[in-house]
Amino acid sequence: MSATLSAVRRSIFPSADDTWTTIAARELKGTPEAEAVSLLQSWNMHVFMRAAASMGSPRAGKQILPSDVIFVEAPKA
Amino acid sequence: MLDLVIRNGLVVDGSGLPGFSADVGVRGGRIVKIGHIAEAGHEEVDARGKVVSPGFIDPHTHFDAQLLWDGYAKPALTHGVTTVVPGNCSLSLAPLKAKHRMKLVGMFNQIEEMPNIAFETGVEWNWETFDEYVKRIGKDLSINVAPLVGHSLLRLWVMEDASMERTATSSELKAMQVLLRQCLDAGAVGLSTSFVDMDETLKPVPSRLADQEELHALCEVLAEYGRILQIVPEFYDADVTIARVDQLADLSIQYGIPTTFSPLFVNADNSNGVDRVMKRVDEQFARGARVWPQVQTRPIDISFCFAVPSLLFIRSPSWYRVMRFGSHDDILNAFRNPEQRKKMIAETTMLNMLWPRLVLRQVKTDANQQFVGKTLAEIAELRQTTPVDAMIDLSLEEDLDAHVLAGDMGHNDYARVGALLSHPRVHVGASDGGAHILSFSTYGDTGFLFSKFVRDTKSLTLEGAVKKITSDTANIWGLPDRGLLHKGYVADIAVFEADAIDRGPEYYVQDVPGNGSRYVRDAVGVDTVIVGGKVAWSRTSGYRNDAQGVVLPGQVGGAA
Repeated sequence: MSATLSAVRRSIFPSADDTWTTIAARELKGTPEAEAVSLLQSWNMHVFMRAAASMGSPRAGKQILPSDVIFVEAPKA
Repeated sequence: MLDLVIRNGLVVDGSGLPGFSADVGVRGGRIVKIGHIAEAGHEEVDARGKVVSPGFIDPHTHFDAQLLWDGYAKPALTHGVTTVVPGNCSLSLAPLKAKHRMKLVGMFNQIEEMPNIAFETGVEWNWETFDEYVKRIGKDLSINVAPLVGHSLLRLWVMEDASMERTATSSELKAMQVLLRQCLDAGAVGLSTSFVDMDETLKPVPSRLADQEELHALCEVLAEYGRILQIVPEFYDADVTIARVDQLADLSIQYGIPTTFSPLFVNADNSNGVDRVMKRVDEQFARGARVWPQVQTRPIDISFCFAVPSLLFIRSPSWYRVMRFGSHDDILNAFRNPEQRKKMIAETTMLNMLWPRLVLRQVKTDANQQFVGKTLAEIAELRQTTPVDAMIDLSLEEDLDAHVLAGDMGHNDYARVGALLSHPRVHVGASDGGAHILSFSTYGDTGFLFSKFVRDTKSLTLEGAVKKITSDTANIWGLPDRGLLHKGYVADIAVFEADAIDRGPEYYVQDVPGNGSRYVRDAVGVDTVIVGGKVAWSRTSGYRNDAQGVVLPGQVGGAA
């Protein structure tokens, strides 16, 4: 069975070690790092608004979870 | 002689085909004849003027704990529900090592708003494995149970504390696969996971630390059994929900398994979003995937008092923090402290439109009874204050036992909800039965389906509504011989009045272990509920103790 899927907002699943910076470098090549990180965070408020893992955790300071959906483009108009 | 004959009813058999007049005969727990039955039954039910349908199946509940002290899942059974699916949202009560019990109680308390004291006083912890849990609840069931195993539980068992900190190693993945097989062999209907929930310390639940490799590893096991995957997506964001639909669709196609996600709400601020999600669901079904959105029938009503944390305040940290982590006195002191109170009120300016229409539903003191049933706007006017201050003052006067109702918070555009419910790829569910017991009643959604969406908005036919909550559910969840009134099928049956079935008013009852209370609704228009060929409840005789519910789909190789 086959069917055409319409275009939806592009997203990725992060790897366990991913941070905003590593995703920015991989997915937004050519965009200056600070700008790319800022763009990613603005496109992913469902992740960026959450508290980072606390000190003492192996994930200390990280917001992104391995199960998250991370958008790599802006919302479609 | 037959064991049971239901005479002269309108048989609506769950297939969606038009109802017809007939008798239904039962022997040995199964339907043996439908038509004119001359033979007498040991027990007979007069269904003249009533509908005879398959028992309803509720696919999204959290009865995991309640089933340990109440094998009827009261009052779900009285609403015509003959099968419940607990273990949703990555949380089940097994497999669970003894040392993790209180950790899990904390998660149930945070996520499903189930009081710790109910677990402390109502649960005898005498199991660890899924098999032991199933045997434990199976001893005393009067309703059927199709339990999911929670992904967070698999992680907690295998990875211990690391389950909340990191992804799994390859050996841990293999151990989780072995454990999932054991649960499915013992009778788990599938696996549940969550992408949104937090534990009692507001850390992500273990399932959220899983990467794609882990989800695929677990779906490989589900594929061996053809069992279902249930998820809780980020339902408040349509784009993320669409990404989850795509994720589920890929898993469904790759592993040949059914998947379902819950909830999906129609709210004023997301109606376009629901349309986009459903468009994607349709596209993925056309591609060959099975991704069933679950939609609840009832509107969102939330009650709260400040004695227990309410998820209504989860986006208001200064309120939620003290409710979640503070003592009773801490909460009182926060409201008494002028500076803290001012800060809390300032933080909830986004709720300024909400406060005035909240309704005071119950208080303890005689002095404040005069305000019960009034909105906070009305009370504020009488007390010459603001609505939010009136709520706080009443809470102080009532030692935090002032109960307030936030009614019609969403999912209440009945034309749109009705259209969504009638969509062929929408799965009616998400009742949350047994959970959120101090926030709202999770009983009567099936009655509301008929009263609101069959009789009122006419979004569905009687036969279409019955099909949605019987054979559709049995097919989606892989429950053989259930969901239809056909010869040879198990006799799980509801007898009800088509023009009367409804949910009764919500009320507060003290019947939770530990002298706890909860909101419930009684059934209206339901006459008799039959489980496995025996009457489990009837309007005239109440609960009966001769019906024997079973665990579905049951042990692999065993008989359900």
